[in-house]
Amino acid sequence: MLEQGKIDSRQAILLIISLVLPTAILTVPAITVKHAAQDAWISIIVATMAGLLIARLVTDLSLRFPGKTLFEYAEEILGRVPGKVVGFLYIWWFLHANALIMDEYASFLCSAHMPDTPVIVFFILGIAVAACAVRNGLEVLSRFNQLFLPLFLGLLLVVFILATKDMKVTRLLPVFDKGAIAILKGAATPASWLGEIVIFTMIIPFLNKPKEAYRVAALATLFTSFYLLVSILVAIMIFGPNVTGHWIFPTYNAVRVVSIANFLERMESIAVAVWMFGGFAKVGVFYYAAVLGSAQWLGLKDYRPLVAPVGVILVALAALCENIVELLDFLATAWPPYALSVFEVGMPLVLLIVALARGKGGEGT
Amino acid sequence: MVNFIKPLRARFPGRGNHPADQSKESSLPGASWKEQVLSPDLETNLKQIKAILDKCSDVVYREFVFAQNEQIRLALIYTDGLADKTQVGDQITKALALEVPMAVPGQEISKNRALEFIKQRGLCINEIQQTSKLRDVIQAILSGDSVLLVDGHDIAIVNGTKGWASRAISEPEAEPTVRGARESFVETLRTNTALLRRRINSPNLKIEVFKLGEITNTDVAIAYIEGIVNEKLVAEVKSRLQRIKVDAILESGYIEELIEENPWSPFPTVNHTEKPDRAAAMLLEGRVAILVDGTPFVLTVPNLFVEYLHSPEDYYERFIFTTAVRILRFLSALVSLTLPALYIAVVSFHHELLPTTLLLSIAGQREAVPFPVFVEVLVMELTFETLREAGIRLPRPLGQAVSIVGALVIGEAAVRAGLVAAATVIVVAFTGIASFTFAYSASIAFRLLRFTIMFLSAALGLFGLISGLALIGIHLCSLRSFGVPYLSPVVPMTGIDLKDVVFRAPLWAMFTRPRLIARQNQKRQEQGLKPEPPETRPKG
Repeated sequence: MLEQGKIDSRQAILLIISLVLPTAILTVPAITVKHAAQDAWISIIVATMAGLLIARLVTDLSLRFPGKTLFEYAEEILGRVPGKVVGFLYIWWFLHANALIMDEYASFLCSAHMPDTPVIVFFILGIAVAACAVRNGLEVLSRFNQLFLPLFLGLLLVVFILATKDMKVTRLLPVFDKGAIAILKGAATPASWLGEIVIFTMIIPFLNKPKEAYRVAALATLFTSFYLLVSILVAIMIFGPNVTGHWIFPTYNAVRVVSIANFLERMESIAVAVWMFGGFAKVGVFYYAAVLGSAQWLGLKDYRPLVAPVGVILVALAALCENIVELLDFLATAWPPYALSVFEVGMPLVLLIVALARGKGGEGT
Repeated sequence: MVNFIKPLRARFPGRGNHPADQSKESSLPGASWKEQVLSPDLETNLKQIKAILDKCSDVVYREFVFAQNEQIRLALIYTDGLADKTQVGDQITKALALEVPMAVPGQEISKNRALEFIKQRGLCINEIQQTSKLRDVIQAILSGDSVLLVDGHDIAIVNGTKGWASRAISEPEAEPTVRGARESFVETLRTNTALLRRRINSPNLKIEVFKLGEITNTDVAIAYIEGIVNEKLVAEVKSRLQRIKVDAILESGYIEELIEENPWSPFPTVNHTEKPDRAAAMLLEGRVAILVDGTPFVLTVPNLFVEYLHSPEDYYERFIFTTAVRILRFLSALVSLTLPALYIAVVSFHHELLPTTLLLSIAGQREAVPFPVFVEVLVMELTFETLREAGIRLPRPLGQAVSIVGALVIGEAAVRAGLVAAATVIVVAFTGIASFTFAYSASIAFRLLRFTIMFLSAALGLFGLISGLALIGIHLCSLRSFGVPYLSPVVPMTGIDLKDVVFRAPLWAMFTRPRLIARQNQKRQEQGLKPEPPETRPKG
């Protein structure tokens, strides 16, 4: 086995939250609100349903092959060559997704805090920190995440509570104004983010209690959705749907307006500082999945030699993106069909169906 | 980094590629006598011992006869200064030469029965052993015991007469507390084990002694409480100690560095204390203590990071106050690591983080300062570190002078001369003070890392600072001390053990021992010990 570590269910939940939330909370609200206006929160609820289904799908699939990752059982299900092809596509997707995450991360930091710093610096240092965690294995990665993510989640909640002063519930009215189609369109992007839980297939084999995988996946999805839902509600209730839809990072702006007694203000810097840890964790998980996947795909005994080369590829891929407008456009239009239909639902579903048809794998516990 | 470490590793082979059957030969010449045994002839023995202990002017040889019987010749050998002279004189020489004939008048003792007779009825010493190995004899002489040789017998009697001038038990200097025991460990191993035994009057407190150091032959003891300690841990400690093949153990730091799991880390993963009450508390939680002769610092393993932010006093003061103080200490630790870096980041990159008036005030102070803020802070930090080091090294009477000069130079002159801003002095001074609030051995790690983070912060502002913290976080997450994750019980989280991290639960609510340390015997005490007034107390 390439990975010796085991993680417990609590760490797994936090890891999956990190897998989705840090960038979702940045970019998803604006895109969703653009489609569904003040009904964006309904979109999130719809997306949560989809997310739970995807979570169920990937957990079902993984539990049929205890102790094996996606890359190992893809070959078992489809046969050697088609399995390798699927594996290759997933490696590509992990890398691509990670490059996009780095882009979001860097462009956010650039526009929010350090406009004069070239983005490549963020790419290199961000990847370097993540590489350090990945080299140390899943155990250290999830401990690191367990150390800092609660800070982020707690701080976010506090900030949202402090922001209630500026909220108006009437900004959520009228409900269901734009109709079901708009809501479904708005749900596509959050669903594609929640669908990133497909990486859980790389983590399930290392759970110390694999039987709790369903619970872990469901709880993590619900937690993430809760934070997405709250951040969208907060943004809409403070700024209204029109303004929110035109901002790039509405949640960040919602944090900025917090000002209490001329003292408790400029919370956004603390929030961003804590959020950066989440960013490292998210990049780390995708990075880890890509590295472990490649090692299994190539049949290596150790994944560590791959950490550095994969990091270089990630920096190069991330540097391909020209600017934030292009990035957001890609995320809003191309990403949901590309990620959701192929990698998050399509392939796992095909794998599961073929596995059932060919009677591969155990019953699943 | 890895590439730079690899050649180093090759040059200094560490754990793993250590030749397992390295010869046990001493690094000293002329060690051929080590396997020899005593001969029945007294003269031969004496000659041999004198040859081995040649030019050892502190060894005393006393030859006399038993019970004024010219037939039975005896020789007593001990080291002057290590053996208790009155004990040797009264209980051995006087007893054997004069008192025995008075106690058993007229009885003729044959040469063959002499040894038995001396042991049973002659010696007034409580602690005696016998040996026939030359090696043990030499060892005994040099460690303060006195050796009695009897003519016609190839067996020597080793009398426990250790008694040398040693420092009296005094107050702990490195770990002062307001409340709690005032005793500190001293340099003598036996005194230290006694200090432990006095606190834990239980047959389950086991103290095993080894000899380490090929030349120094230092006594090293491990102490643990059977039934609480994890047996595997004891075995692991023993095997790591037995791996040590060095010529000298002069301080417990030698052992610490040789049994660590992460020799490249700036963080210590073996804790040490000079307070017997703290050591006892550690043992009672299932840890193992390693006592080394010649130092008052006792090692305890496994070591968790939070131990450095705790003080023994935390358990003697009321828990509410303790919790508040611990919060202060955790914040101080954070400050001592990050404050200068944060200051650099804010002043050079993120002006928006400061309230306008404060920003203007700092800008006003910095107007005349010729250096960038990073240089300013770096110079001040280095000055502070220099002062601190000077304060430790200087002969004590001069310490006062240093602090006066330091305060004047740093506090007044530098600011007046316009070399540094007053705000920088405040930041550096506060950072320094904050680093004194928790254990020294962790604060030196923070001191080092503070500079690294300052560099990152000067280059990349807040992003650099956070990246640095993340790297430190990842490193801390990867550390283990004797198999126990360094950051536990926070990560990986063991819920019940959070009772004693920042929050200190009242003693009546601490039902369990730390789960990852005392694996076998978790239960510390019964539940329901909460004191209550008689009216509300449940009947029966």
